[in-house]
Amino acid sequence: MSGALLSVRDLHVTYHTKSGPVPAVRGVSFDLEKGGSLGLAGESGSGKSTLAGSILRLLPRGTEVEGAVVLDGRDVMSLNPGGLRAVRWTAGAIVFQGALHALNPVLSVGDQVAEPMLIHKTVHGEKQARARTVSLLERVGLPAARADSYPHQLSGGQRQRVLIAMALACDPLLLIADEPTTALDLMVQAQVLALLAELKREYDLTLVFISHDLSVLTYACGRLAVMYAGRIVEEGPSRQVFEDASHPYTRGLAAAFPTIGDMSSRLKPSGLGGDPPTPGNLPGGCPFHPRCPLAEDACLPAEPGLRPSGIERRAACILV
Amino acid sequence: MHPGVSPLVEVEDLHVHFGASRAVDGASLQMSPGEVLSLVGESGSGKTTLIRAIQGLQKPTSGEVRIEGKARAGHHDPRVQMVFQDPTGALNPRQTIYDIVAEGLRIRHDRGDELEMVKGALSRAGLRPPEIFMPLYPHEISGGQRQRVVIAGAMVMEPRLLLADEPVASLDASIRGEILGLMRNLVDETGLAILAVTHDLGLAWNIADRVAVMYLGRIVEIGPTEEILDGPQHPYTRALLSVVPETREMEQQILKGEIPDPTRVPTGCRFHPRCPLLQSGTLSGEMSVRCVNDDPGPVAIDASTAAACWPVMARTGSAPSA
Repeated sequence: MSGALLSVRDLHVTYHTKSGPVPAVRGVSFDLEKGGSLGLAGESGSGKSTLAGSILRLLPRGTEVEGAVVLDGRDVMSLNPGGLRAVRWTAGAIVFQGALHALNPVLSVGDQVAEPMLIHKTVHGEKQARARTVSLLERVGLPAARADSYPHQLSGGQRQRVLIAMALACDPLLLIADEPTTALDLMVQAQVLALLAELKREYDLTLVFISHDLSVLTYACGRLAVMYAGRIVEEGPSRQVFEDASHPYTRGLAAAFPTIGDMSSRLKPSGLGGDPPTPGNLPGGCPFHPRCPLAEDACLPAEPGLRPSGIERRAACILV
Repeated sequence: MHPGVSPLVEVEDLHVHFGASRAVDGASLQMSPGEVLSLVGESGSGKTTLIRAIQGLQKPTSGEVRIEGKARAGHHDPRVQMVFQDPTGALNPRQTIYDIVAEGLRIRHDRGDELEMVKGALSRAGLRPPEIFMPLYPHEISGGQRQRVVIAGAMVMEPRLLLADEPVASLDASIRGEILGLMRNLVDETGLAILAVTHDLGLAWNIADRVAVMYLGRIVEIGPTEEILDGPQHPYTRALLSVVPETREMEQQILKGEIPDPTRVPTGCRFHPRCPLLQSGTLSGEMSVRCVNDDPGPVAIDASTAAACWPVMARTGSAPSA
């Protein structure tokens, strides 16, 4: 696709485990234009983090990946290790969830932010790396002196800021944020979301934002893709998808995030029965049918593909 | 609180200090039978310490917790039960559902009919018919069902008060609704009271009769859910609500920094260093001085609607207890 910074075509990812092959992503395609933002929503086992990992080929050895990922004109799937290193951090970087284990406990956070710059030689020497590290930390709202702190000395919100600074170290075009606000309190979450929005504008970043929280994604992204059982089951402009979903799964998921002040949800929690399916053991037909309030016999024979459900919208449901 | 009903739970001027750290610093609240109170606050607000004190796991430095008018009875007061956040971690993988639910009865040496009591608790938690679930192990049931088992394990003790610490935070979003619905039904049908600790204001909107907002060891605003979430008075509550992604109408007020360290509680109003109202410059000089220097005090134990904020109290002509 011309104009797309990131293009994913018919991506399949299968993990090979002791109990057999586990298809985590089963045919996902999307394009993201430069400067755009896509929210990937899904529950546990939906394949959203696997999808994110496959964009920069950060999956465990032995994982079977088919399909195409083109990032900034380069076919990520065919890159040799050297080419892959050149793409990671510079073409695309990941902001991981700011839990303690995402950072090295025995290195100062400044050294960790500087590391990708030194490895990729985007700066000349340690002195320049230090200067850029300090300016990045200040840009994400941390005082320069924090460069000498160790991860355990920082709060969860501060650690998340460090991880954002690290992702920006080599001026990436694409930022993949994997649950960057999940473990954070409401106010700190708002601080981090506001920071990401500012940085996106300032650096003209393209953003893939992954979360289980549909309301956060709707707030942070222009487009939304909802994943279920390894596939995108609905996509479209965020607000439309959140407020007027086409797919019954999206409707159920959206209802789990009530609008405060909306009397129709007051004292009426709503959700879906059952669990999301385990990737190794998917129901036949539409994989959502066992939990679907609208399921009928026609849902059983085959898994529906995405079909148009409005302007720039698609949904994978025979009732659309 | 329902007027005319004697309170089920009274927490009076509770302090829990760890050395210089004032984790709970003068919290008071009351609950009636058959109500859900949502205790909302960020990490470091003291909400977990407060419920640990209500549960008897944490000895108060001063103040008192009374259940049905009497000080709570030691560590194992069966009238108060707890539901933990992560159902998978809370359940012993080697025990059957039956043994898990019966465990509390056995610890208490209950003389009743164990089988009947376990069956009743499982049914009330929506695991019907109970005979199907009793021989299963936790890994054989779904995540939502596991949280129901946790709730059944608490309900078998026939508590008057259920303490729920982030009861759905570790569940997949689509499952949240059925667990919250179950909790609301238990309250409506059995007269149980639930104190639900959460940072999720959507949860409060979904199930709570009242909301209490905690900041740095104290309850700073309390009132009926509609009033607090639709028309918050305290500047802290207003800021919190403005950043909930599901409330788009309010202009966002993103507070800088994080909750201060409870070893260094600010003077005057404990929220004043972060208060957008004070920083807006719209308060009179006299009022600003008061916010910085004078503590508005905690909300009173029997307050129906109250905010511990000098400008709000001046506007409504009330003390924090009115």
